[in-house]
Amino acid sequence: MKKILSIVLAAATAVSVMAGCSKGETGSQAGSGTGTGAAATSLTYWYWADNSSYSAKMQEIVKDFNANNKSKVKVTAQEYPWDGGAYSQNLFTAAMGGGGPDIATFKLTSTPQFTANKLLANLDSYISKWSEKDDIDKSLYDIMKQASGTNSIYVMPWNTQVLYVYYRPSMFKAAGVSVPKTYDEFLTACKKLTRDTNGDGKTDVYGFSMRGSKGGQEPWGSFIQARGGDFTNFASPEAIAGMQDFINLYKNHYAPPTAPSDGFNETVANFKSGKAAMVIHHIGSAADMVKTLGNDVDAFVFPAGKKQWTSLGDTENVVFDKCQNKDAAFEFVAYMATGKGQETWCTATGNVPVSKRVQKLPAFQNNKFMKVSIAGQPHAGIFPVRDTTTDWINTVWPNTVAAALSGKTTAAGAMQTLQKGLYGK
Amino acid sequence: MRENKRGSARFFSLYLPLAVLLVFLIFPFYWTLVTSLKPDRELYGSIVTYWPRNVTFLSYENLFTQFQFLKPMSNSFLVAIITTLLSLTVSVLAAYAFSRYRFKGRKVFMMLFLTNNMFPTVLLLIPLYSIMRNLGVLYTPMSLVLSYTTFTIPFSVWLLNGYLDDIPRSLEEAAEVDGANKAQAFLRIILPVLVPCIVATGVYIFMTSWNEYTFAVMFTNEANRTIPVALKNLIGELGVQWGLLTAGGVITIIPVCIMFFFAQKRLVEGLTAGAVKG
Amino acid sequence: MVRRKTNIWPYLLIAPALLVILSVVFVPAVNAILMSFQNYDLRRPSQTGFAGLANYIEIIKDPLFGEALVKTILWVVFGVGFQFVFGFILALLLNKKFKGRGFVRSVSLIPWVTPGVLIGLMWRWIYDGSYGVLDDILLKLGLIGDKIPFLAQESTAFPSVVVTIIWQGIPFFALMLLAGLQGVPRELYEAADIDGANAFQKLFNVTIPSIKNTIFVTTLLRIIWVANSVDVIFNMTGGGPAYSTQTLSVYIFNTATSLNLGYSSAMSIILTLLLLLVAVPYLRSMFRNQEA
Repeated sequence: MKKILSIVLAAATAVSVMAGCSKGETGSQAGSGTGTGAAATSLTYWYWADNSSYSAKMQEIVKDFNANNKSKVKVTAQEYPWDGGAYSQNLFTAAMGGGGPDIATFKLTSTPQFTANKLLANLDSYISKWSEKDDIDKSLYDIMKQASGTNSIYVMPWNTQVLYVYYRPSMFKAAGVSVPKTYDEFLTACKKLTRDTNGDGKTDVYGFSMRGSKGGQEPWGSFIQARGGDFTNFASPEAIAGMQDFINLYKNHYAPPTAPSDGFNETVANFKSGKAAMVIHHIGSAADMVKTLGNDVDAFVFPAGKKQWTSLGDTENVVFDKCQNKDAAFEFVAYMATGKGQETWCTATGNVPVSKRVQKLPAFQNNKFMKVSIAGQPHAGIFPVRDTTTDWINTVWPNTVAAALSGKTTAAGAMQTLQKGLYGK
Repeated sequence: MRENKRGSARFFSLYLPLAVLLVFLIFPFYWTLVTSLKPDRELYGSIVTYWPRNVTFLSYENLFTQFQFLKPMSNSFLVAIITTLLSLTVSVLAAYAFSRYRFKGRKVFMMLFLTNNMFPTVLLLIPLYSIMRNLGVLYTPMSLVLSYTTFTIPFSVWLLNGYLDDIPRSLEEAAEVDGANKAQAFLRIILPVLVPCIVATGVYIFMTSWNEYTFAVMFTNEANRTIPVALKNLIGELGVQWGLLTAGGVITIIPVCIMFFFAQKRLVEGLTAGAVKG
Repeated sequence: MVRRKTNIWPYLLIAPALLVILSVVFVPAVNAILMSFQNYDLRRPSQTGFAGLANYIEIIKDPLFGEALVKTILWVVFGVGFQFVFGFILALLLNKKFKGRGFVRSVSLIPWVTPGVLIGLMWRWIYDGSYGVLDDILLKLGLIGDKIPFLAQESTAFPSVVVTIIWQGIPFFALMLLAGLQGVPRELYEAADIDGANAFQKLFNVTIPSIKNTIFVTTLLRIIWVANSVDVIFNMTGGGPAYSTQTLSVYIFNTATSLNLGYSSAMSIILTLLLLLVAVPYLRSMFRNQEA
């Protein structure tokens, strides 16, 4: 009996604690979004962070904004897991369920699904009135428009990452390879850099750390374009030739055998551990590489073949349509795009600023990786943003390319599948 | 000689298979522990080390100082314990009804409980989010308790129903002949025998709510994040924070194991109770 | 003993459970069923509309569906099969008396306690073709000559994820069956001993019949659970390489996250029907036993 009594007591306490919590939460939540009449004075912001120190940095930025903004609003920043891109899905689910934040960190590829359901606020009128609008290059605004499939801007630029090739100067020296200036030289370098260093008959260093899992379409795109292909027709002979080059790197063992399942972690680990001489990624991983490799890491822009292309990574901010104080929300995304938020965030994370003013700051001008990023910018582009793009990136591309790498399908067959996956039947 | 023979029989029938199974079950945990103690540099080395050359507790330190892991831990405990108590109470009653009564619609209700768990949660997410919002429980632990119980109750009802069906009816019939009513027979006879099964079911419910991620990420915000979401935050777009993540894993696993160490003692209680009554 | 007269007690007893479930999950579930008969793709909300059986017809023509169905069957048969066998063995061992039993019991639950987030990641790490410990062990034992990229090859990826789900499910069966074993009256074993039964005879003539309902229910529930499980595969391979680890539940998950909810719902209804097909013979014999 005593035991039962104690359990009941415990349950009762627990329930009352919970009730207490729930009251507190709904109270603070009411301020965001659900307020009626007067403009809301508190806004919710969702973001993801690549590590806990970036997360702390974000809280610092928001604190600074809250202390100094003209709209006199308080932004509450809530961290959500990146979760291999499921972040966008969770954001969408919440918004479709009538909740979610007022402002959020965003990836361009998911724009169509959000605009098709009328979830995002149109930023045109805010941008046209905005005094600092020219601090961001016009080409970026064009990319934002292109992504929404309309003539309007729904997505506010925040920072970009230009992909380039990281390489190990010591390995280049040992293999007698110089930095490739053409696409053909790049392919030859992959071959020459693949070496058996200890004479046991097994490859110890691979030329190129290939990414075959989710996200691998970005470096892969450079091969397609170098052969003269483009993303409007993956089944063109040029694009197929690029795919064939990609497959050959794997078949000839110039890339590690794990390539079909290698994602960001594995490809970069291969490079850092000395298992691969080159890897394609952006400046986001530079600090970590320097920490591991010191001076023995450098970079070059993916070289030109018939054409030259490299992938432009991106992170943006959006304002939701249901937001009750869009003026304040815009002030926040503007602060992140060209204000102090831009400066603090890009300095901390090493991302390429979108603000021309911030780009000119010495911290960005004296960094060798930033220089390569900026050199690559004229060739940088994105994949077509269609409503099928997310699915194409997440499942169609990795599975089709894995089948091509293992020889289950041919380059031409794979490219047809990719064409169909993105553009429908 | 005879002693020896019995010893070796025991070795082959108990210690050897147990050791093999345990190695398989525990190795990944051992590997998590080793990873949490390794400095980053040693992780991706060309040589795999089975014990870190340089043991570092830095990750554990960071976990509690920078990352404030205690908060998601206490949130997870709160949610898991309330879910367990609630689901168990409700399920024991329902399972008893299904096992000991024959009534109209019994099979239909049992089927309903079974199919409830066949539907993938990913398809229910958007409407569930709306429901939680309309109930005003979104971003409170209550939303998790509510959504977890909908999945743990049917499962537990079925489990307990299975156990109850294995308990001979003669037990309570004897008591009823002695003049006890149904409720008394249940409390005095069935419940004690059922304790191990209740403990096992409770462990099931606890684990389910402890480890759930999909609902947790949707229905909580930073104030009431649970462990799986906090851990997921450590896997960014730019790589995994192996040290923190594995340290978090180790810290998550150990208290539950300790809790179970005490709970499993109850697993024996039923045995003695059953023997007396049988 | 069997009460035929109308009695409100059983209804009152199941009411709370029923109430919780219906109030939360009923509307979304009905909604999902309705979606399966619609062209319901949130990427193209303007095209939403009644589509009859169009989704179902498309599924039958979809080669990926057939492939995923075969994978699901293998996944469930091998996954649940081995979980049960090893779990049962573990339960029998843990039911014996030995020093440190409590400790062993609690550590053997570890796979179950491990957060799902970590399971996929740790196993991916163990299987890793460059830095993975499994390759290292096999190399040191001389079992393989070259490192195997387990998750990068179509031939090895599926067996690898099956091993992980077996690992994860053993403690469930061990614990549930261990609890069931506590209810077996000791006299039955004593009687068998007097008859001179050996260990296997005792297992098949005493132990298994005494906990048959428990075995029944746990395997049925586990089949449903494993057939629907997504996170182990999703975190380890995402269904790849080349769809070689894509079970139906993973396919459903992938289609749902790419927002083609109509198609995804239709597939999950087919999966539910298939699971019922497995469950019905189970239930029949169970209900028949109870009537007897």
